Amino acid sequence: MIEATEVHKYYGRFEAVRSLSFRISTGEVVGLLGPNGAGKTTSIRMITGYLPPSSGRIAVCGKDTISHTLAARQNIGYLPESNPLYPEMRVRDYLTFRARLHGVRASKRQSAIAKTLDRCWLSDVSRKRIGYLSKGYRQRVGLAAALIHNPPVLVLDEPSSGLDPTQILETRRLIRELAKDRTVLVSSHVLPEVERTCDRVIIMARGRVRADGHPARLLARLERDHPPLHVVEVLVDSRSGHGQSGSWAGDVPRILSQIRAVPGAKAVAHEWVSAARPTPDPTQHSPSGSTPDLASRAGGPGSDWVRLLVTPEAGHPDLREQIARTLNKGLVLYRDLERRLPTLEHLFSSIIEADSTNPTATEHRESSQEAA
Amino acid sequence: MTRLLALTSREFSSFFRTPLGWVVIAIFLCLSSLFFVQNAVRPGEPATMRGFFAVWWGLLLFLAPAISMRLVAEELRTGTIEPLLTAPVGEGTLIASKFFAAVLFLLAMLVPTAVYVVVLDTLSRPDYGPILAGYAGLVLLGMLYLSVGTLASTLTSSQTLAFLGTLFALLLLDFAPARIAPSLPAPIDGLIMAIAPSERMKDFARGLIDTSHIAYFLAASLWFLTLASLVLQSRRWR
Repeated sequence: MIEATEVHKYYGRFEAVRSLSFRISTGEVVGLLGPNGAGKTTSIRMITGYLPPSSGRIAVCGKDTISHTLAARQNIGYLPESNPLYPEMRVRDYLTFRARLHGVRASKRQSAIAKTLDRCWLSDVSRKRIGYLSKGYRQRVGLAAALIHNPPVLVLDEPSSGLDPTQILETRRLIRELAKDRTVLVSSHVLPEVERTCDRVIIMARGRVRADGHPARLLARLERDHPPLHVVEVLVDSRSGHGQSGSWAGDVPRILSQIRAVPGAKAVAHEWVSAARPTPDPTQHSPSGSTPDLASRAGGPGSDWVRLLVTPEAGHPDLREQIARTLNKGLVLYRDLERRLPTLEHLFSSIIEADSTNPTATEHRESSQEAA
Repeated sequence: MTRLLALTSREFSSFFRTPLGWVVIAIFLCLSSLFFVQNAVRPGEPATMRGFFAVWWGLLLFLAPAISMRLVAEELRTGTIEPLLTAPVGEGTLIASKFFAAVLFLLAMLVPTAVYVVVLDTLSRPDYGPILAGYAGLVLLGMLYLSVGTLASTLTSSQTLAFLGTLFALLLLDFAPARIAPSLPAPIDGLIMAIAPSERMKDFARGLIDTSHIAYFLAASLWFLTLASLVLQSRRWR
């Protein structure tokens, strides 16, 4: 368990971390996000006992990182961002050194090393010098060094840095597996990675926590405040811009006005789909009640696809049905009707953007009701 | 204790994992053997190693900074200090391990010089008292120099600066008291001269092992190591 209470950190007069408070329980995988200079590394260094807070308190497994620093550090497995290693040492020797450093008993040392080598896919390079290993392997050595003493708290700064896609997948699986009976704090810049790995994210900006909660719930909140963009592609006549009789190709002004009339649609923009020679296929939606000969009528010469971008008003998160009905009613052929749901990247950029325009913005924190 | 041993053995073996350790040993053994052959193994010369030790004390001025310059500076430069100081290891333990490893390396350099004693024994009947005292003085002086070097190494991440800083400090420690003391009044000049290790080495050269000298070298080494530990601790609070 990691518990931070009103932690501040000053470098001279510069306040690197301001009023940091959180509690991470056993079994949680928490992602720490933020742009460069947000205070992530400083926070991690304070948690691991490398730096003392200027004020406030951090406890790891109930041990204060300053007054009981050695006991607190014994409970932490730490992979620093730069993953510093001794290049002249062999992998097994380095892990033996780390095991001795963390007080792993001699009787259990060899089995702990063998298990960690296997867990981090290092068995085949255990006798190689670290300096001769690729970046991916070195990253795994750093991860193995953090795990060697089987700590209850893991702090991993960019754990998947330098790994190939298969290894990233394996690392994610390993972190999830490790988190069953541990507390895991992961700092990463790869947001989709964090979204898949973490139960909870803490987003920092300018030394302050700006959001704290389950990614899905934070995204739902973002979705409520900023309804997702709706996108649909419609077939129009590209020669005259007007629909022709007997064709599925509609005309842009008419379609735009129809969509604007959909209740809840705030704004509609459009763009031509480049080099889109429409090829009718069975997945395309056709207006109900009609008997179109798609092969001959849609996608004929002079017709082209236009992408409509519909921004809903707040409180109207899903307009897909209304848009589909409107297009059907106007006998317009359309495809790819979708809601562009916000991702963690959207959440991240909206928070960073809000922070840069309003540094005193309040924190997005899940309420207890939401968390429940 | 396990942690101290783990750190010391890693540090000690790191001297031999790179060519640096071997090269330093080779160069200094080469130089010392030349001096030994030129000064001690000559017809009519007394079977002593006094000349050999005098050369070694001079070489130590350069040797100790070369050994100690990388001890902490290298960890600071590469960032390996971070995993060390986030492991359950105190700064004092870390500094002690670095120092012990450096002293062990110095001893490893001295071990091959036992050949010279064997050579002397074969050729003549040497007096072992001054030889033992000479080795004891060499180790004690080495400890003092290495502790100064350890302190300099914690002050910078540049090995060159650590080397030059140590060299400057050692020259100051060795030669400044003899220059300054004569111009100072009675009680102070004695105190200043007591600081100089070179004065105490004269006794060791004569074959005299004085416990006050031993206490001086050990206490001075401990003093510099404590300072080094405090400097390392203070890095956290900056």
